[in-house]
Amino acid sequence: MGVRTVCAALVCKATYHALRLLGRGGTSLPGKLALKIDPEYLHQLSRGVRTIVITGTNGKTTSTHIVAQALENMGEQAFYNRSGANLIQGITTEFAIRSSITGKPRYKLAAIECDEGALCRVCKQLDPDVLVVTNVFRDQLDRYGEVTHTLENIMAGVTNSPHATLCLNADDSMVASIAGKADNDVMFYGVSCEIYPERVADLSDATHCILCGTEYAYGYVTFAHLGGFRCPACGYARPAPFVAVERIVERHSDSCVLEMSVDGVSSIVPVDVPASYDIYNCACVVAGLLAFGFTKERAFEALGKFKHGFGRSEVLDVNGTKVRLMLMKNPAGCNQIINLLLNETDEDMGLVCILNDQECDGTDVSWIYDAGWEAICAHKDAAICSGERAEDMALRLKYAGMPDSGIRIVHDYGKLIEELGRMDHAVTVVANYSAMLGFRAKAASVLGLAGFWEG
Amino acid sequence: MADESMHITIGHLYPDLLNLYGDRGNTIALTRRCEWRGIDARVVDLGAGQDTDFEDIDLFFIGGGQDFDQRTLLADLGVGVAGSKATRLQQAIERDVPVLAICGGYQILGEYYVDHEGHESAYIGALPMYTEAGDTRLIGNIVFRADAIEGAPSIVGFENHAGRTHLREGAQALGTVVKGYGNNGEDGTEGLRYRNVIATYSHGPLLPKNPCVADALIELALQRRYPGTKLQPLDDALEEAAHDTMERRLIS
Repeated sequence: MGVRTVCAALVCKATYHALRLLGRGGTSLPGKLALKIDPEYLHQLSRGVRTIVITGTNGKTTSTHIVAQALENMGEQAFYNRSGANLIQGITTEFAIRSSITGKPRYKLAAIECDEGALCRVCKQLDPDVLVVTNVFRDQLDRYGEVTHTLENIMAGVTNSPHATLCLNADDSMVASIAGKADNDVMFYGVSCEIYPERVADLSDATHCILCGTEYAYGYVTFAHLGGFRCPACGYARPAPFVAVERIVERHSDSCVLEMSVDGVSSIVPVDVPASYDIYNCACVVAGLLAFGFTKERAFEALGKFKHGFGRSEVLDVNGTKVRLMLMKNPAGCNQIINLLLNETDEDMGLVCILNDQECDGTDVSWIYDAGWEAICAHKDAAICSGERAEDMALRLKYAGMPDSGIRIVHDYGKLIEELGRMDHAVTVVANYSAMLGFRAKAASVLGLAGFWEG
Repeated sequence: MADESMHITIGHLYPDLLNLYGDRGNTIALTRRCEWRGIDARVVDLGAGQDTDFEDIDLFFIGGGQDFDQRTLLADLGVGVAGSKATRLQQAIERDVPVLAICGGYQILGEYYVDHEGHESAYIGALPMYTEAGDTRLIGNIVFRADAIEGAPSIVGFENHAGRTHLREGAQALGTVVKGYGNNGEDGTEGLRYRNVIATYSHGPLLPKNPCVADALIELALQRRYPGTKLQPLDDALEEAAHDTMERRLIS
């Protein structure tokens, strides 16, 4: 163990605890400082820890949560980046606080959510046992460049994960194409049926064959570009998934029952998420856990007792008003929230949209025009907008068909929370990342919630 | 002439290939602003592989896209082929049909594009400019003064492009950069105005927040069918709030 590593550990742990004493939830600074001192620090810390890394545009946080809870429920010595800090600095901090000062890990297993842009460096250090790719959608294009660039980032991570079993989404033509470019073992998962009875018309990020450029034909579409794709020219098609959701047996407001198959054998699986985009997370978690060496029975069990994390269908009680928080990050994710709202029965449900444009959100808010707010505005004639880009959000709703008179802008979170408390119906707050963070922090200080970093 | 009886057809070129960054916010803005005035606006998707007649189109919109998709698109356009879509589009431009071209759609209307490897692709050649790939992407909020639009309004948007566009001598820039990069990050010009073509790097939903551009395009389209038409003003309080908030933030 080098002096550098010990120095890195000291600095990392000291900074982490100092930030906590100051009441701040920062998770990236300690790791950042440590990596400055010892660039190989994360590699040192992860030796002897088997890791499953989960990446992709949408669903990585939820999937990582479910995997981590499954590992915990099975009594495994496991941890995960529960704060959601998913760049190399934050991941380093997560490993550091769970290791001794000499870099000896206290846990045997780790479930790590990783940003696509950080994947290359993170995998280089972690050498993961399993690498799960959820999907590729347009997301924060100002930061990542274009969609195909995101795929290249993921491919760089795959190249740095020579020992990993790859769990790939068979329904995503971009993700599935990774299999043809890697020597790794591959396990495909997918959803073999449609998900929503009513669904907004999405834009597709992958209309044409990634191999030959011909337009895909689809047997069915779950949403966006996901589904049973096939290229009529070169024959590239959705690979047969090893893990698949075959059918939605029952639908409830916050849960559903799925028929899932593993290697062709079907089971009926009750899951703790509504029949929405979340069922992709179910399929991907089962594949990830199988590849990580667990049985399908244990994996199915995990899907039945899963608690939602930060801003993902979390429900707050604001002076008696039921306030549900939904995190929107990009058009595909946002459309799935809209689909969920469309397929619900509570017609009085209020709507608050909070839009920020910090670096972590993407400074370009253009994407709100790619999401199908029109479907919501056909049902709702009022909303409150907030955040740094409240006016842009308000304008989006106006052009989606909401009457001017129904759209209000309330910048101050304190005032917004007061108003929510006075409402006589439930409210859904849709917010992007830093907006959710800010709103939740304000709600925490007013209502006394636990800080998000405590999970 | 009463607005009620009027109608226009908006041709959305390659919505299947060029639809990055909320581009469709522009067709939404055009149709809504017509609808609010009782003008019947119809959007026709002019996708790849569809051989649609351009004769009935009163206003073209062409958005931004990825490099990969632009190759598929060039094959469909048939640059240099008599009677191809490229030729018919150029003819429409020469007939003063209004066009809004953004980012990739702007580049495509130019003479050619040179990629990172030095490979040159011939583009439509309808506009007096060409584009060369740069080493870095020019990304961020942009404010420019649109000198080539009546009243020289201030335009607020977002740009994200690797291409550096250079205007030929005598070409008229759409405007002057106040904050941001513009055509190439060097000469302070942004976009291009040629006949009734408004071309810009301000991508995505340009029109909702800059309603004067939307109305200028609608008016030009209407005047071809209904000479002398002037648009009724709308209540743009929310539009102005969104525009002014960003302008203040960027210029201060």
